[in-house]
Amino acid sequence: MSGYLESVLVLLCINTVLAYGAFLPMVAGQLNLGVAAFVAIGAYSGGYLSQTYNLPPVLAALAALLVAGLIGWLVAFPILRTRGIYLALATFALNQVVQGAILNLNVVGGASGYPVPAHIGFPVVAAFSLAVVVAIVALFHTRFGISVTAVSDDEGVADLMGLSVRGLQTAAFAMGAALAGLGGALYAHHFNYIEAQNYGVLFSIYVVLYVLLGGTQTVYGPLLGAAVFTLLPELLRGSAAWRYVIFACLIIAIMSLRPQGVLLRKSWFSR
Amino acid sequence: MLEQQIVNGVMVGSVYALIAVAFTLAIGVLNFLNFSLPGLFMVAGMLTWYLLRAHIAWPIAAVLAIGSGALLGLVVERFTYRLMARSAHFVPLVTSMAVLILLENLVLIAWGSDQQRVPLPFADVSWHLGPTVIAVPQMIGLACALAAVACLDQVLKRTRVGRGIRTIAEDPQTAALLGVPIGRVVPIVFIVGGLFSALGGFLFALNYQQASPFMGEEIALKGISAMVVGGMGNVWGAIVGGLLIGVVETFSITWFGARAVDIAVYGLLLAILFVRPTGILGGVVRQQRM
Amino acid sequence: MVLEVRNLSKSFGGLKVIDDLSFSVARGERLALIGPNGAGKTTVFNLITGVYAPDAGSISLEGRDISALPSRFRIRRGLARTFQNIRLMAHLTVLENVMIAQYARAPGIASLLQPLGFGRGNRWRGEARAALAAAGLERYADQPARGLPYGVQKRIELVRALAAAPRVLLLDEPAAGLNPTESEALHLALDAIARRGVTLVVVEHDMQFVGRLCERVVVLNFGSKIAECRVAEIQADRRVREAYLGADELAA
Repeated sequence: MSGYLESVLVLLCINTVLAYGAFLPMVAGQLNLGVAAFVAIGAYSGGYLSQTYNLPPVLAALAALLVAGLIGWLVAFPILRTRGIYLALATFALNQVVQGAILNLNVVGGASGYPVPAHIGFPVVAAFSLAVVVAIVALFHTRFGISVTAVSDDEGVADLMGLSVRGLQTAAFAMGAALAGLGGALYAHHFNYIEAQNYGVLFSIYVVLYVLLGGTQTVYGPLLGAAVFTLLPELLRGSAAWRYVIFACLIIAIMSLRPQGVLLRKSWFSR
Repeated sequence: MLEQQIVNGVMVGSVYALIAVAFTLAIGVLNFLNFSLPGLFMVAGMLTWYLLRAHIAWPIAAVLAIGSGALLGLVVERFTYRLMARSAHFVPLVTSMAVLILLENLVLIAWGSDQQRVPLPFADVSWHLGPTVIAVPQMIGLACALAAVACLDQVLKRTRVGRGIRTIAEDPQTAALLGVPIGRVVPIVFIVGGLFSALGGFLFALNYQQASPFMGEEIALKGISAMVVGGMGNVWGAIVGGLLIGVVETFSITWFGARAVDIAVYGLLLAILFVRPTGILGGVVRQQRM
Repeated sequence: MVLEVRNLSKSFGGLKVIDDLSFSVARGERLALIGPNGAGKTTVFNLITGVYAPDAGSISLEGRDISALPSRFRIRRGLARTFQNIRLMAHLTVLENVMIAQYARAPGIASLLQPLGFGRGNRWRGEARAALAAAGLERYADQPARGLPYGVQKRIELVRALAAAPRVLLLDEPAAGLNPTESEALHLALDAIARRGVTLVVVEHDMQFVGRLCERVVVLNFGSKIAECRVAEIQADRRVREAYLGADELAA
C-alpha cells in the first residue's frame, strides 16, 4: 500500500475515534468544544510515557486513554454544573487553558513541538479504531443509549423516572474525553510529531461539525462524518483552503435542510 | 509603567468590547451565539488593508469596510439563521461556526495566509501624559467604540425598533403576539452586530496596522470571554468585559510572558462561568424552564 | 398509610404556595386532590416527587421518610407520576419512552449496560411492547413520541409510569383535554390499575371523573387544605363551593 493511501486511512481511523469522542457528550446534550484539549492531553501524555518510561507505544496509548478519561472525569464536576451555552463556553475556555498550559510545558517541547519516536503502524491504529466502533455500537444496544438521550431531552423528567442524570452526564463526558485522548495518542505515535498549536478551538469545531454532519441520531453518524471529512479533500484534489470551503458549505446546506444530520434514525434499537 | 499598561490594555480592550457588544446583542435578543461575527471582523480588517493599500481615501475605505459588516450580517441572517431558527438550539451556533470557517478560507484563497501590513493613512500622532504614551488613532478608536455603544444604548431605550428588540429579548412569542414585526427586527439585530464587528475590524487594522485571515479566529474567543465576563445580554457589560479582558491580557503578557495569556484570560472566563455566570454587570439570558 | 404528607410548607420568593398541608393516603385508596387553579396541586406533586425541597414538613412513603431523598430514588421505591403538560422524550420512540421507566425496577450499572438485543435484555423490550399492546397502543411503538395525537400521548405517559411498577401513582390532570370516549377509557384503565392494588392520587378538575373514580377527596385552596371528605359529601361542603365559586356568589 502506498504511503500516501496509508496516511489517509490512518487519518480516517483516528478521525473516527475522535468523532466518537465528541459524539458521546453530544448525545447526552453537551456541546463539547474542548474536545481538542483532550486530544492534546492524550497525545502529549502518551508521547511522554512512551519516551520517558520506554513504555511500548500500544500501552502508552491505553494509558493516554485512561489519563484523558480521568482528567475528563475530574473536570466534569465543575463543568457539568453549567448548562447549554454556558457549558459550551466553559468547555471552550477549558480548551484554551489546556492548550496554553501545554505551550508552557517545556518538558514536552512547549511551543516548539514534540517529537514522539515510538511508532504505531497502520494495522494497530485500524485495530484500535475498529475496537472503538464495535464498543460504541454495543454500548448503544444497551439502556445507555436511550438513557443519555432521555437526559438530553428532558433532564427533569429523566431524573423523576429514576435515571441518574449526573452520573450519565459525567460518564458521557469522561468517556468522550478518554476516546479523544486515545485518538490523540494514536496520532502522536503514528505521525511521530505533535504541536500544541494545532489543538485549539478550531480543531474542536471541526470535529463537532463533522459529527453533526453524519448526525448524532445513529451510531454510524460519526463514522460517516469522519469519512466525509477525511476523504473529501482526496476526492477533490484542491488546496486545503478549498476543502474547508466545501466542507463549510456542506455543513451550512445540511444544517438548513436536514439539521439532524445525514443519517436519521427511528430507534436506537431498530425493529 | 503601570499606567502605560493600563492604557494599552484599555485600547486593545475597546476593540474586544465592540465584538463583545455584537455577540451580546445576538445572545441577549436571539439566544444565539453567533460565531460568524468574528468572521465579519476579519473581513472588515482585510478589506481595510486592501483598500488602503490601493490608496483609496480612508473615509471611503471606512464606509466600505464597516458597510461590509452590515451586508454580510444580513446575508448570514437570510441564508442561515432564518432557515434554522426552529431547529435544535445548537444548529444556528454550529452553522455560524461553518460561516466563520467559510469566510476565513475564502480570504485565504483570495489573499494568502500572510499577515498584512496596513498602511496608515494619516500621521501617527501620540499624546504624552508624563511617561505614558497614548496613540491618538487608538484614542479615537476608543472614543468611537464608546460612542457607538452609547448610540446603541439610546436606540434600544428610545426608539421603536429598540423597544421591539428588547421585547423579543424578553420573550419572542409574546413579542409576536404584541405585534412586533419580528421579520424586520431580527435582521436589524444582525446588521447592527455586523456593523459593530466590522467597526472593530477596521479600528484594529488601523491601530495595530496589521490584518490577517486568522484575526477572526483570534478575536472570537476574546470577544466571547469579554461578553461572558461582563454579563451576557448586557451591552454595557460588554464594554466592561472587553476593557477588562484587554487589561488582563496586557498585564499577563508583561508579567508572565506571551504564552501565559491564554491561561490568564480563559482562566478568568472559566472562573466567571463557575462562580458568577451572570457576569460582572449581570446578564439577561433566557434559560430553559422546568 | 402508604403516603403521608405532614405540615408541608413551601414558598417561592416570599409567596407561600403551600401552607402547612397534611393528608394521608391509605394503601389501595383512590384519593382526589382538587381545588381551583393556582391552589398548588401540581406543586404538591412536585414536592412529593422531589422536584422541590419543602421548606418545612415531611413526606413519608410506606412509613419511611423521603423528604430529603433525591427524586430518582423515589420512583425506585415505588412512587411514579404523570404530568399535566405531557412530558415524553421527543427524541425517543414510544417504546423507548416506556422502557426508560423500567430502569427504576432494576437500577445500577449492570442493568444500564445489559445488552437489549437478546436474552434477559430482550425481556424488557417484550414487556414494554406488551404493556403498549394492553393499552391498545402497539401500533405507535416504533414511532417517535413527538407529534402523536394528544390523547395518545397521554395514554403513553400512563403506560410509561406503570412500567416502573409503582405502588403509588400520582396523576396530574389525567382527563384534561380528553373527549368523552377517551375519558371513559381512561376511567376503565385507572379503575383496573387501582384494583390491582396500586394507590392512586389524582389531581383533577373534572368533578364527574373524580366522582366516579375516587373514594375520598382533599380540597386545596391557596396552598392549604380546606376540606377532606368522602366524594359524595363534597358538593354539600360550603367551604369547597366558596373556594370554587367565590363567597359573593354564594351569598347572592
